[in-house]
Amino acid sequence: MSSLNVYLIQIVTAFFGSMGFSLMYNTRRTKMLISAFGGAIGWSVFILMTHFLSGMDFLAYFVASMAVTVYAEIFARIKKTPTTSFLVTGIIPMIPGSSLYYTMSYAFKNEMDEFFSTGIYTLKAALSLAIGIIVISTAVRMATATANKLFKKK
Amino acid sequence: MEYGKLLDCLLTLGEQMLICGAEISRVEDTIGRISDTYNVEKTDVFVITSVMFLTLTDGESNTFSGTRRVSKYNTNLDKLHKYNDLSRQLCAEPASVEEFEQRIEEIKSEKPYPLPVQCLVCAMISASFTLFFGGGFRDAAVSAVIGIILKLVIFAQSKTKVNMVFSNVISSAVLSALALLAVKSGIGQEASKIIIGNIMILIPGVGLTNSIRDIISGDIISGMLRLFEAVIVSLAIAAGYILMAVVFGGVGI
Repeated sequence: MSSLNVYLIQIVTAFFGSMGFSLMYNTRRTKMLISAFGGAIGWSVFILMTHFLSGMDFLAYFVASMAVTVYAEIFARIKKTPTTSFLVTGIIPMIPGSSLYYTMSYAFKNEMDEFFSTGIYTLKAALSLAIGIIVISTAVRMATATANKLFKKK
Repeated sequence: MEYGKLLDCLLTLGEQMLICGAEISRVEDTIGRISDTYNVEKTDVFVITSVMFLTLTDGESNTFSGTRRVSKYNTNLDKLHKYNDLSRQLCAEPASVEEFEQRIEEIKSEKPYPLPVQCLVCAMISASFTLFFGGGFRDAAVSAVIGIILKLVIFAQSKTKVNMVFSNVISSAVLSALALLAVKSGIGQEASKIIIGNIMILIPGVGLTNSIRDIISGDIISGMLRLFEAVIVSLAIAAGYILMAVVFGGVGI
């Protein structure tokens, strides 16, 4: 399979995976679709980033998680709903589920070198995601705080 | 005004929001805002993931205090949205305490999607992620069936009082065993892809995301609790998987 096909499958399944999670958490109608697109967009950004920054997966995770957080913050304000709704579901495809699995399986097979390297990869990926969320959320928080202050002074 | 009843309503609202997956700062903020609309002189609220303390003080320095223990979570973003809306509306146009109570009850009694729908949703999630992580269509189909069974197992456990760690070990063991069996009998091709697709259902995504959001808004204790809970759940998933891998002697892993 060509890599373009692989990417296409990943983006489509990220869409349905995120949609599945938003349904699992009882989200309905438009919000479900927003969540689904969040997952697909997040993963598209990730693929694009890995393409441009080959070998720097963590930077790609970081940028993609920032993109998802911006997306979630914007739509949370439009739909007047907690940001968590779109953030949790949008970030799902990026959660390092497969490297977590391989970490476990190396532990089981007693392959310690691989165990450590995949384990550290998993942790780094999770950390990059977390930092991406932190950067954007903090920026948004500061912006709203400033906006509120200005508004009140008037 | 009936402070006792208001206290109870605020605690119930906060509890429900926590159960549905709200961050700590949102719960504290909501309670503070609503009690302001009822002209409470002073509101002191402290929330961590498992317990809430609330004290209301009236104009004559009488205090009304309450504690609420929150022991079980059940993420429901639809209800969370509605509670959020309720607080927005109450701040815009204050209602009587009775009406407040009634509207909480209304949202609380709403039913989640019925079990068959939930099963299909799980099938969709696990099939999607099997494909996402590079599995074939045949594995995705196997994954979908296992996803349905997994949802039934999780549902059965939610009816009993199994603790969180043990229930995750069981769920992960069941899904690993089924995936390994499917590969052994020749129905599935790659056990790893099937297992990864199904593990995504168990991964504590809400816990992780909320723990980060709690930590940045300064609720370090709650953030740490949620983070540690997520780590423990991940370890439980690993334990269940390794158990079955040992039983099946590492076939197709």
